[in-house]
Amino acid sequence: MFETFSHVPAYPLALPVFWGAFALFALVVARRLKVFTAAGAVGPAGSTQVPRRIGGLVRYAFLQTRMFREVRVGVMHYVVFLGSTILLIGNINIVTGGLVQAVVGWPFAGILWTLAVAIQNLIAAAVLGLGVPYFLFRRLVGRPSRLELGRTGLQVLGMITLVVGTEFFAMAFEAAVHGDVAGALVTNLLAIPLHALDSGAAEVGFVALWWGHMAVLAVFLLFIPTNKHFHVYTSFVNVYLRKLAPRGQLPRLDIEDENATFGLRTLQDLGWKDLLDGFTCTECGRCEAACPAHATGKVLDPKRFIMGIRDMAEAAEITMDLIPNSPIVRQTYGLDGTTPATAAMTARIVDTAIPYEAVWDCVTCGACVEACPVLIEHVDKIVGLRRNLVLEDSRFPQELNSAFRNMEGVGNPWGQPPAGRTDWTKGLPFEVPTLAQLAASGRLGDLEVLYWVGCAAAFDERNRKVARAFATCLHAAGVNFAILGQEETCTGDPARRMGNDYVYQMLASANIETLDRYGMRQHTIVTACPHCFNTIGNEYGQLGGDFRIVHHSAYLRELIGNGRLQLDAGGGVATRAVTLHDSCYLARYNGVIAEPREVLGAVPGLELREMERNGRQSFCCGAGGGRMWMEETSGTRINAARTTQALATGATVVATECPFCMTMLKDGLAADASNAAGGVTALDISELLAESLAAPRGGRQLPVIH
Amino acid sequence: MRIVVLMKPVPDPVAASERLRPDGRLDRANAPAVVNPNDEYALEAALKLVEAHGGEVTLLTMAPAAAPETIRKALAMGAHRGVLVTDTALEGSCVHSTATVLAAALAQLEFDLVLFGVDSTDGGAGTVPAAVAAKRALPYLSAAGKIEPDPAAGTVRVRRMTPTGYDLLEAPMPALVVCTQALGEPRYPSLKGIMSARSKEVRTFSLADLGLDDGSVGGAAATTRLTGTSTPPARGAARIIKDAPAEAARQVVDYLVEKWIIQ
Repeated sequence: MFETFSHVPAYPLALPVFWGAFALFALVVARRLKVFTAAGAVGPAGSTQVPRRIGGLVRYAFLQTRMFREVRVGVMHYVVFLGSTILLIGNINIVTGGLVQAVVGWPFAGILWTLAVAIQNLIAAAVLGLGVPYFLFRRLVGRPSRLELGRTGLQVLGMITLVVGTEFFAMAFEAAVHGDVAGALVTNLLAIPLHALDSGAAEVGFVALWWGHMAVLAVFLLFIPTNKHFHVYTSFVNVYLRKLAPRGQLPRLDIEDENATFGLRTLQDLGWKDLLDGFTCTECGRCEAACPAHATGKVLDPKRFIMGIRDMAEAAEITMDLIPNSPIVRQTYGLDGTTPATAAMTARIVDTAIPYEAVWDCVTCGACVEACPVLIEHVDKIVGLRRNLVLEDSRFPQELNSAFRNMEGVGNPWGQPPAGRTDWTKGLPFEVPTLAQLAASGRLGDLEVLYWVGCAAAFDERNRKVARAFATCLHAAGVNFAILGQEETCTGDPARRMGNDYVYQMLASANIETLDRYGMRQHTIVTACPHCFNTIGNEYGQLGGDFRIVHHSAYLRELIGNGRLQLDAGGGVATRAVTLHDSCYLARYNGVIAEPREVLGAVPGLELREMERNGRQSFCCGAGGGRMWMEETSGTRINAARTTQALATGATVVATECPFCMTMLKDGLAADASNAAGGVTALDISELLAESLAAPRGGRQLPVIH
Repeated sequence: MRIVVLMKPVPDPVAASERLRPDGRLDRANAPAVVNPNDEYALEAALKLVEAHGGEVTLLTMAPAAAPETIRKALAMGAHRGVLVTDTALEGSCVHSTATVLAAALAQLEFDLVLFGVDSTDGGAGTVPAAVAAKRALPYLSAAGKIEPDPAAGTVRVRRMTPTGYDLLEAPMPALVVCTQALGEPRYPSLKGIMSARSKEVRTFSLADLGLDDGSVGGAAATTRLTGTSTPPARGAARIIKDAPAEAARQVVDYLVEKWIIQ
């Protein structure tokens, strides 16, 4: 029996040692899953969109693409990942009495097994020689701020070193005592100096290391579920079960369900996938480093929030027995250690896992979600907490009271009378008809595109100029467009992001009804507001409203591309440096990144200078998630931070593509001391384009209004 | 404690949808109605009082028949029930008439306190609370910045806000209190509140139910009559003074003196 390990003294004992530990490991994991069951039943259906899910698994878990955003860290992590995976094969072989070797070593006279040993040997050497020292250096000396120097991190590294090291050096001693191991290139070399030892000492070394490895393996197995290293198992599951709905689509909320808890209050309201997020978090802090609220000194720390959820789940877990009582004991003595204690399951998430202020610090920009290598979903949970605070407790920053009332009462967060929705069109040298006017005169059939103006462009002085510039572009291209005018209301995005799904659904339903009245499912809608764009495009479908909406950057690009929009040749135009501030809801949430750049590229005399954080990695202006209507009293201002980044490019124009970004950056530029002379201005991409429109046929110069 | 809060549906002042009918009266049918903002302060004060002392809040409204829609909004904030006095004969009521009807309605209700808002955004008379207090012979505590009832002693203390500070008033209950914004921001209704408001009781009284006859109140018995309406002249362009601070300040002062605003 166990011929493979006949040279290991007392080898058969290895089986109870390991499988005993494994049984305990299984009990620990089983107990954890009971908390998952006690949590909400809502979770992703892993059986849907399987090819897409598997694709994600390969991309994010096996190839770890997000880890390679920091190349050196990515490579080193991959070495350790590969090492662990391949060494796992060797370890499975050890604890199965040589089963793997028997199977793999059978064909081709054992070449495959020799090859496996060789790879394993090289990888182990790389882990010990490169991976471990690198990560140790990083934690102790390099110390990026997102990593906290904690005992766990060092313990995990220590465990990895021990488990790989003992096996590696055991093989060296094995070679010294029993002759070269086929394929073990590195350890066979290391064995050469060991030949000098007397054979008894070498044998002692081998036995001590081999059994040391066995013991460490058992301890490591039990150590893994107690800390962040658990991600080696959970990240695969978490990645497979990731959110596949559009990133900008918040979970549906049934506001008619009288018995439901609205939003997230306790562990019971979280879905089991949310708990899995907690146990997948590796505390790497990439979310924290990407978070604009955290960067400006606010309370919010997305990493601590996810860790807090895990801590709550663990607190619930330890209220249960590791080994459940038998049904007889349960019935006879009334002892039931099989369900988590009610107190642990009904503790409030707000003020346990996350401070109340932090819930409202979030700009819902999604930088944390974008940064997470294991696809943890932070934003949906934070909005879930807001939903509960707003819909059940009416507990929210006081400024929101008027924003909510205004949206509810007059359909826009500014509290402006709806009659003023068309004021921005006054003085334009062409007519901007409403759908109602087109329908009344039977011209609805000629409509090419509906321009969804949005509240900001309708009521905010600065953004009205953007609406005028965009309408000027549409008119110059001869586009037959119309607006809804007084019939338009807020899409509900701010209400939804602030947790008030009741007001959101009220506004959204009204808009869907209005759009349907004019048959707008058959038409394209264009908007210059990424928030309107995201909500109509990604969220109205949940309420039965399926519309085709494009952002004005994409629409303008098309008008330039097909030659409908003629631009000035640009002879003699002085070159201006421009930087583009990507909107979170456009670039990160919806991947619209190339379109605005192509529009800028078409404008003569512009030289684009990118900020360090652009595209999907953009840094929020500070107005998302309803923060537009809240005071920013904690820490420094997010828009000031972004303004500094923009000014660092040396550009004289900060191009925007979102009315909120426009407001925030305009204010940021006005308040920045280094721009006291006002030389740097914020302009929407449509304004930059409108400035360069060619004189239309007939030679009449189109006025562009600023 | 049993508290009655007077609540009037008014056209949403933010929507700027107030329109006059050809007869010069407000076109209530075509304007979205909201709870009169000053009444919300009274309701908030009442809700805080019952949270602290126990008890129930009843809304009392005199309005056209469509009012329950608005009453539900106030019920969503946490009031327990609503009472609506509605009768076609009440159209065109003057202050005197309104006070008579509300006093008659209060006679049907049991209460320790009656809370009013300072005035309504549509009528703006601000005299109804005093008239009701007089008609029902209730202690009249106006401009309340703080309300401290002592249910055991059957008294209430009110801080009456004055330009220089406050007066401390004490009166036996039942009493009538006029509430100011100093009592605190009205709460935002929770979704649970909105849902439970759907099933709360709203009782309706006609004039006959209150023992009043058509001729004694309402438009027929109005003591004031609308004789005409006119739109105020559009405001001229604002004068903007742009100068060095000292010079600009001098010009502002000169202007205010010229207009007899300061001396």
